[in-house]
Amino acid sequence: MSLTADKPISRRSFLKWTGAATAASVTAAQAPVLHALVPEKKAGAPAKVENRFSVCDMCLNKCGLIARVEDGVVTKLDPNPKFLKSRGMLCARGNAGIDQLYDPDRLKYPLLRKGQRGEGKWQRLSWDQALDHAAEQFTKIAEKYTRCGVLFTPGSDMQSTFVRWFAEVFGSYNVTTHESSCLLSRNRAYLDTFGEVPFSDILHTKYLIMAGANRFEALITPDSIDLMTAKKNGCKLVVLDPRYTKTAALADEWYAIRPGTDMAFFMALAHVIIGEKLYDQAYAAEKLYGVEQLGEHVKQYSPEWAEGECEIPAKEIRRIARELAAAAPAAIIYPGRRTSDYVNSTQIRRAMAIVNGLLGNWDQPGGLLAARQVGLSGPELPDSPFYEDNPDDRADHGRAHMMFDEEGSFKHMRDAIIEQKPYPVKGWFAYKINPLQSVANRNKTLQMIENLDFILTVDIAMSDTAWMSDLVLPAPSYLERQDPASGLQGSSACACVVTRDPVVPALFESKPVFWIFKELAKRLDLAEYFDFTIEEYRKQQLKKLPDGERALREDGVYYNPSKLYGVYEGRVYKTLSKKIELYNKRYADMGVDPMPIYRAPRRKPSGKFRMVVGRNAYFTHCTSQNNALLHEFMPENTLWINPKAAKRLGIRDGYMVEITSKAGKGVLKANLKEGIREDTVYMLSGFGVLSQGLTNIYGKGACMAEILEDYADEISGNMAMHETFVKVIRKGA
Amino acid sequence: MKTKLAMVIDSSTCIDCKGCMAACKVENKVPAGHWRNWIKRPEANFIAMEKAAGTAGGHFQPGNCMHCDTPTCVQACPTGATYKDEKDGTVQVNDELCIGCGSCIPACPYGARYRHPQKKIVDKCDFCEHRRLRGDLPACVVTCPTKARVFGDINDPKSDAARLLKQNKTTRVIHPESDTEPNIYYLNATAPMDWPVKAKIPTPIQLWGNVAKPLVWALVGINALGVLAMLGKQFILPDDDNQENDQREGQQ
Repeated sequence: MSLTADKPISRRSFLKWTGAATAASVTAAQAPVLHALVPEKKAGAPAKVENRFSVCDMCLNKCGLIARVEDGVVTKLDPNPKFLKSRGMLCARGNAGIDQLYDPDRLKYPLLRKGQRGEGKWQRLSWDQALDHAAEQFTKIAEKYTRCGVLFTPGSDMQSTFVRWFAEVFGSYNVTTHESSCLLSRNRAYLDTFGEVPFSDILHTKYLIMAGANRFEALITPDSIDLMTAKKNGCKLVVLDPRYTKTAALADEWYAIRPGTDMAFFMALAHVIIGEKLYDQAYAAEKLYGVEQLGEHVKQYSPEWAEGECEIPAKEIRRIARELAAAAPAAIIYPGRRTSDYVNSTQIRRAMAIVNGLLGNWDQPGGLLAARQVGLSGPELPDSPFYEDNPDDRADHGRAHMMFDEEGSFKHMRDAIIEQKPYPVKGWFAYKINPLQSVANRNKTLQMIENLDFILTVDIAMSDTAWMSDLVLPAPSYLERQDPASGLQGSSACACVVTRDPVVPALFESKPVFWIFKELAKRLDLAEYFDFTIEEYRKQQLKKLPDGERALREDGVYYNPSKLYGVYEGRVYKTLSKKIELYNKRYADMGVDPMPIYRAPRRKPSGKFRMVVGRNAYFTHCTSQNNALLHEFMPENTLWINPKAAKRLGIRDGYMVEITSKAGKGVLKANLKEGIREDTVYMLSGFGVLSQGLTNIYGKGACMAEILEDYADEISGNMAMHETFVKVIRKGA
Repeated sequence: MKTKLAMVIDSSTCIDCKGCMAACKVENKVPAGHWRNWIKRPEANFIAMEKAAGTAGGHFQPGNCMHCDTPTCVQACPTGATYKDEKDGTVQVNDELCIGCGSCIPACPYGARYRHPQKKIVDKCDFCEHRRLRGDLPACVVTCPTKARVFGDINDPKSDAARLLKQNKTTRVIHPESDTEPNIYYLNATAPMDWPVKAKIPTPIQLWGNVAKPLVWALVGINALGVLAMLGKQFILPDDDNQENDQREGQQ
């Protein structure tokens, strides 16, 4: 079945047709989907148009949107102008949400693996058969290996909360989230400095240093938009990045810093600020803990010394320190988001947090803000059952100094599963998460899979993780789902509540994960724990916000006019010293450096490159590369390599190159870029897929997760994705 | 004063997120491989950056059909399908009259037009006419994160577009030999400036134009013309897919 290029297709006929096409491509032997998706419209009749509020789920920002529905078909998604967190915008991904809903590659009904894992042979099951099978497999594992023998990996959407709740009542502590591939080291560092993870008041700041973040491409609301507004209002933006990103391009100053040396730069800033007494000493005496120790400690870190490490001229470091201090407290060292880069990434972020501390910007306009009150209530749920035979701790417990129990570390969990230590984990429930593409060292994840008896994935399309699973269950997209309420922080933009109701009914046989849990719970004698509806759940969440339901109905968003600045007046910091800890008392007690001690990044072997990771504005991690619209912006990934380095290797623009690390290899096109250091290469994640169910990108590009070696941050267990050295050779023209 | 719709764009605030391109593509059902709008960027000058540590100097320039006041595409169109709409100053394509000959494509200095592979006619930005009819702004304008694109009637002093135009120095991107008096105004300076091409108008059409067009308008009801048109459009010009390459990240 194929379309001829010259035959015009309407969306309606496309809809009818898509079901059968994917059934053929993913599951060769199955009958076409029988759903008639949209009723045929009478010729000439005007379209029935409705506008419905929803909240985007193409990334994690949850931007408010208005869906235009014509005769039951979503034809356009526009930004909700009343949604302040996104400043009333919808990015390319938000606009392409329609292509997630009407993606011909969507999963349509439950599929049971036939043949080997990854072979792509599937049998269609009814929902009853699928749920009975899943319940039977999880029971078997629980009986043989305890209930902690099942690993749960929730995604990051508004129903992921139910994955945690199901894991809890099922009895497994082994819940590992996306966060250990992302921002745990940042969270650790700011918790251990300020006692809480801050939000940046970028809109009102006058000076911002961005290192290890790329906010004009990796869009975060309101930060990305506020950064441009702040710039228009005169804020100075200094970017440190080994790559000439779009953020670097639009900065006032860009320095192609030597990768892994950011700490040297920030400790040198502290050296200048303390040495020249550029900080508010009265504030420091009242709020900061360890100024004197820090002053002694950073004496060794002069700008001249730092220049030798980070390759940023000492005179510029000195100047930047002075300008920064002059702009304080409306000055920010941007904390960043994805900080999964080096084995000491928490300490690198501690160095940044410490400079923020010296700037006195906490709780101040243009500085770092505490979380605002949103006002959602936790629903009343029954006490979860206690299982006597369970082990004491998570399987990855103790593999890093200070992991987050509620997030875990995928790298360490994977090691625990492969080693079967401290106890066997044999089952895996994955909801809209794709470690086979997102976590460093794909071969190791495949090895982990070999150790598992049963893998169940719930997703919208056939991700690589779904492709390697035993049972695959189809989930609806966000435009077809009813979700609980969710509280959002938007620094000075808002503290708000959003929710979702279906814009259109769920297509095919897709079912929300909440429904799947209700059905599984019935089969596992846990029905009492899921004896509620999402409406009831949401009502409880909103019980202390009398205006909440009306605002959500009329505006698509509820704002809590809660306090923005001065939240900490009369409050102590949640640290051991009850102050902002430049010197961390708890670290000292645990044998961890209480102030960051600079350790140069591992030496790059000659002839190799350091691989760095990054994002663009079209793809969220590895989830939207196959989207029909977004795929047009970038049909495959390429290897960014500096022309001088490429020349030495006989590589020209567009040549195929093979890239090899200790973990794996890949073949992709070279993309000669002057805007990357000679010692560094870069590629985007999400290509080189295993899944033949992703028809736009299967066979395109190389898999970054295969090439990255799996290092982790020593303190938080966060993945360290900039520690891999690769060899690049020419593969062909 | 007559309505004159235009865009005033602050390209210094564009972050090249492609939101406008995606929004346009969905709103106007633009087929794969084609776009009605774009974001251009100048070559980065790394030599200058190396000389002065810390300088960055990037710029992104969003654009689309410039709805010119002296549009060469209108001159190039043999049937009058492409016309300047007197009521609002926009340049529009009448789908019923377009024979898909493609003469207008190289006549546009900005590469704003493409042949729709299914409809077999020429398509381009119409400032989202169907959205304007229902009181909405063009899709690209509404979706833009930094609100770099401001749209409105520049002859209406109360409009944001007119106000911006009045209060600021603006720049238009023009090929020195083909000044079509475009109606996209960039606030202050913009880059790149050197990308428009010289308008190419097929000679026979230039000669016939004034004679043929009134005739065509008179004959639109006659089916025979459709047959001729079908013949004509197949050989006059090949599909022009050059614009596709500009938009791909991999090529930049």
